[in-house]
Amino acid sequence: MAMTVELPVRESADETTSPAPSGRLWRWARPALGLLLPVSLALTWELIVWLGLSSGRLVPPPTKVFATITDLARSGELMRHVTVTLTRVAAGFGLGVVAGTLFGAISGYWGLARRLIDPTVQALRAIPSIAWVPLFILWLGIFETSKIALIAVGVSFPVYLGVMGAILSVDRKIVEVGRIFRLSGPAMIRRILLPAVLPAYVVALRVGLGLGWMFVVAAEFMGASEGLGYLLIDGQQLGKPTQIVAAIVIFAILGKATDWLLQVATAPWLRWQDAFATQGGPI
Amino acid sequence: MLALSSLSKIYPNGVHALERFSADIQPGEIVAIIGGSGCGKSTLLRAIAGLDRASSGAVRLDDTPIVAPHPKIGIIFQEPRLLPWLSVADNIGFGLSDLPADTRREKIARALARVGLADKANAWPRELSGGQAQRVAIARALVPQPEVLLLDEPFSALDAFTRKDLQDHLLDLWADTRPTLVLVTHDVDEAVVLADRVLVMRPRPGRLFEEIKVNLTRPRDRNSPLFGSFKHHVLTALDRSLDRSVPDRDAKAGVGGSMWW
Repeated sequence: MAMTVELPVRESADETTSPAPSGRLWRWARPALGLLLPVSLALTWELIVWLGLSSGRLVPPPTKVFATITDLARSGELMRHVTVTLTRVAAGFGLGVVAGTLFGAISGYWGLARRLIDPTVQALRAIPSIAWVPLFILWLGIFETSKIALIAVGVSFPVYLGVMGAILSVDRKIVEVGRIFRLSGPAMIRRILLPAVLPAYVVALRVGLGLGWMFVVAAEFMGASEGLGYLLIDGQQLGKPTQIVAAIVIFAILGKATDWLLQVATAPWLRWQDAFATQGGPI
Repeated sequence: MLALSSLSKIYPNGVHALERFSADIQPGEIVAIIGGSGCGKSTLLRAIAGLDRASSGAVRLDDTPIVAPHPKIGIIFQEPRLLPWLSVADNIGFGLSDLPADTRREKIARALARVGLADKANAWPRELSGGQAQRVAIARALVPQPEVLLLDEPFSALDAFTRKDLQDHLLDLWADTRPTLVLVTHDVDEAVVLADRVLVMRPRPGRLFEEIKVNLTRPRDRNSPLFGSFKHHVLTALDRSLDRSVPDRDAKAGVGGSMWW
């Protein structure tokens, strides 16, 4: 009878870190995969209009939309609208993030503060943010201030909730490591809590940014003379569906681009994560 | 000397986890605390670490009462509890942040080499195996040179082979500075391999049941007949501690006179 004795192989963790079965080709193919769906949809629609199956008047084909965008770009108008909208989103997002992070951290860390302010914040959160519009216009006028305030309100709630929830769910076992090394309150926040909540914080920021883009349109619907939202309203009033679709496409591109920027900017701080996504997931 | 006097702990939910536990532990001594589940051994360790306060009684280290985590007392938990966002080297240096950068680096490098992980200095904790991660945790606890090191079932999540390896490694590290070790375990083998003294606890409420001195020279041969008889003794005591029909006996009587077999 043959008997094999296998010594247990220890300390073989390196296998888990091996890269996914990928070549140089895969690196380029992956982003292209994301383009597959929108591009084929656009091509199909283009083909349908070209074959005369639809007039394409209410749903303009991609070539027409592209032509409108180039026209707008050439006249310099596109740049103006995009800059105005981006500035509003940036200002509102910035303010909303600061407020949401601050209050979220406070109510996450101090139980008393949470019991004091969280119920109020949750009640305010339940109000549809658009409901603030009339009040903000009365308070802050119809120009930039009221628009930025609306965006900031929309952004701050998901950030607040994200930060508070993340701090509350930090593993007690890791906090105990901080206690054993006698970290003071601020040191505990800086060395344990903040790094621990960072992954959840980035998600909260991305949700906040998405809402920022949503509210900038709402803000620009209420009487703006420039901005991408104004292009939408203008297109509706003058019956120019091509301009509407063009503005929508630009929104999509800008929204995706800023989200991507946020992800790229935060990625270096999240390299340590041991999660499904770091391993690439199945395939 | 680490003096535990009459420690009791009643949790807010009414669970009586620990009742009048007393022990004096000499500097450099290795004490293993063993007992069935719910005998309050983790509660005891957390009280010594200053993580929880006992309901009554006191923990004193050289006459300093311990009511909060103390720089001279380190602890190693059942899980490595490494901070996943710090490299292995930064994890080891976590408790050294008030030292100048170069002394800190030097101490980390020495500790890494001592636990045989010099090549993993810049790895993330997720890239380590269970045994490696626990070795990093040991290095992190030892690098500030505590006088007392507490271990809460430190090797129970590892496979038998790695466990044996780490027990030997721990003794090797202990010999460097000879801190006091207080080890909570449910592994009789581990208790007899490591400890000078084994304290057997009895559950509900947790209290001291019997004290066994392990008069074996180090390094200990796990296969020697004497080792086997000590193991047998601890096992018998453990069985008796779980048998409700056996009355409590004065645990102090066991000191020194426990060679009854």
